[in-house]
Amino acid sequence: MGLTFSKIEGKSKEFYTLFILLSIFSLIGFICFMVSYISGHHVLGSSSIIPWGMPITITIYFIGLSAGSLILSSLTYVFGKEEYRPIARLAVFLAIVLIFGAMIGIALDLGRPEKSWRLFMFFVLNNMRSMFAVNGILYGGYFLIGVVYLGAIFAENYKFIKLMGKIAIGWAALVHMGTGAIFGFIATRPIFFSPIKPFEFLTAAMVSGLALLMIAVVAVFKFTKRDLKQELIFSLSRLLRILIVVLAVMVLVDKLTHLYSPHREATVWLLTGPYSWIFWLLQVGFAYILPLIILFHPKYSKNLKGVMVAAFLVVIGIFGERFSLVVPGTAYPLPLYPGKIEGIWGMAGSFPITPIETFMSLGIFTLAGLLFLVGLKNLELLPVIPPSPQGGEAKSEGGPDAGRK
Amino acid sequence: MPRWGMVIDLDKCVGCQACTTACKAENNVPHGSPEEQRSRRDIFWNKVIAATTGKYPRVNTELISMPCMQCEHAPCVTVCPAKATYRREDGIVVQDFRRCLGCKYCIVACPYGARSFNSIEQEEKPYHRPDLPPDRNVWGQWPFPTRTHGVVEKCTFCFHRIDQALKEGKKVGTEVVPACVEDCPSGARKFGDLDDTRSEVSSLLSSRGWIRLREELDTKPKVYYLLK
Repeated sequence: MGLTFSKIEGKSKEFYTLFILLSIFSLIGFICFMVSYISGHHVLGSSSIIPWGMPITITIYFIGLSAGSLILSSLTYVFGKEEYRPIARLAVFLAIVLIFGAMIGIALDLGRPEKSWRLFMFFVLNNMRSMFAVNGILYGGYFLIGVVYLGAIFAENYKFIKLMGKIAIGWAALVHMGTGAIFGFIATRPIFFSPIKPFEFLTAAMVSGLALLMIAVVAVFKFTKRDLKQELIFSLSRLLRILIVVLAVMVLVDKLTHLYSPHREATVWLLTGPYSWIFWLLQVGFAYILPLIILFHPKYSKNLKGVMVAAFLVVIGIFGERFSLVVPGTAYPLPLYPGKIEGIWGMAGSFPITPIETFMSLGIFTLAGLLFLVGLKNLELLPVIPPSPQGGEAKSEGGPDAGRK
Repeated sequence: MPRWGMVIDLDKCVGCQACTTACKAENNVPHGSPEEQRSRRDIFWNKVIAATTGKYPRVNTELISMPCMQCEHAPCVTVCPAKATYRREDGIVVQDFRRCLGCKYCIVACPYGARSFNSIEQEEKPYHRPDLPPDRNVWGQWPFPTRTHGVVEKCTFCFHRIDQALKEGKKVGTEVVPACVEDCPSGARKFGDLDDTRSEVSSLLSSRGWIRLREELDTKPKVYYLLK
């Protein structure tokens, strides 16, 4: 285990520029949240028809990234794949930052965020039949497990690391399946209701988490001028393309099943209606087809830039996948009575993009980026740069905005 | 324990929206601005929808007035993480504003669109009958002294009227009924105990063909519609 880890120095100009930029946007996000809290949720895009908007989309997206990232860190600590050891610490830390960001996202979406402690009164004040309450246990436990796991890694207690890694991998899978169950168990909403949702969410989590991890690793190593073995990224990209295929098949099965009655009309509306471009362009195009073309291409799949483009597309595409689930899922009108429902109750909801919500959402991203940056500076997450022939450690520079996506 | 239910006669309903208005007046439900109407943030505890079948000249429009269905297997009660939505012993599904977090999961889960999110701080006036019996005495006044933003609201079957009537020994269903039933000009709505064989609702249900909305979801609503 002859690999040692270090902090970044974080004294360069780029580091501080990035730090200040992220802080400013986080502050703007917080102000937007206060505006939405004081003046009411009408400044957000959500309504009684589309109750869940951007913050929930970001939350499930972050949870996915987090769970995926944590599962991948276990490749080293549980399955003993030594080649991934340089990035394993980063993966665990990224997972903790992202789950924290996700919990912030939920809190911002609550109408009464000051009551969010009620979500964690397990079995006392909570209705444990609610998937939301069950997920409260899962998210809280996940955060704690992640922190203990990272602590064990820092303490280099390998027996304990292996135990925690095993718990963490199982728990991470549960977290994401639980998140899928929040949507999959709702019989009222045809686009949500599906037993495959937990598994689809788990796969999507691993896909997006892996892609984000690849971006984060390449960016951090490049900005801090660390030497990265390209073969490591290529082996991850081979894993990525398999996962994308699995995810695409799951989504295909899900949509095909839904094209049969009784969910047919809503699904046809999703595939052809006003939100279809998000589904086809972002989800199918960016998350499945384009990355698969790149990753199976004999030339581009051996090129670091090509792989990075694919990873970026996946990260954006999976966000589209989340959005095309959350918003159109509730926008489709409820079939309250047989026949065509006239007027407003028979119309699909629309989701306006409002500035307050946009900046608030951006604030969640930048806050996660900020925490990631602070962590890089204060925790020993990155492998030490081996002494170069010119002598001494090269000057470490600021981390990139890798945590933002 | 009675099991309160409502019977709406589609033959008598003229779609005048008196129930909606009566509900807004009784329960201090905000009236909503045109802007709120457009963005679909206005709060309805009771709504009237129109469902059309057929083509001109053979066309039929059914007017369905929809309060909360007070389901026996209510999806909103199942999904609420904070026990803010719960079923009382008499089967009425109520929303406790004190406990509600505003997570809106119940809006997602409700098959009838009966729930609205109160996004704006409404006009600051006390709930206009402060002498009403509280739901649980230990918690003080029902359910929140003033309206508050950031929580989900829904129809309560006017349980304050029912509780008051039971306390005073009046007969619920004949002497005291929810506001929407009282104000229905054509007498299309009837309210009463579904378990009581002598109640008007029971006799109506045994004499006519009836439906409940969205039976396929097995929510067992307690609002029945008598067919034309």
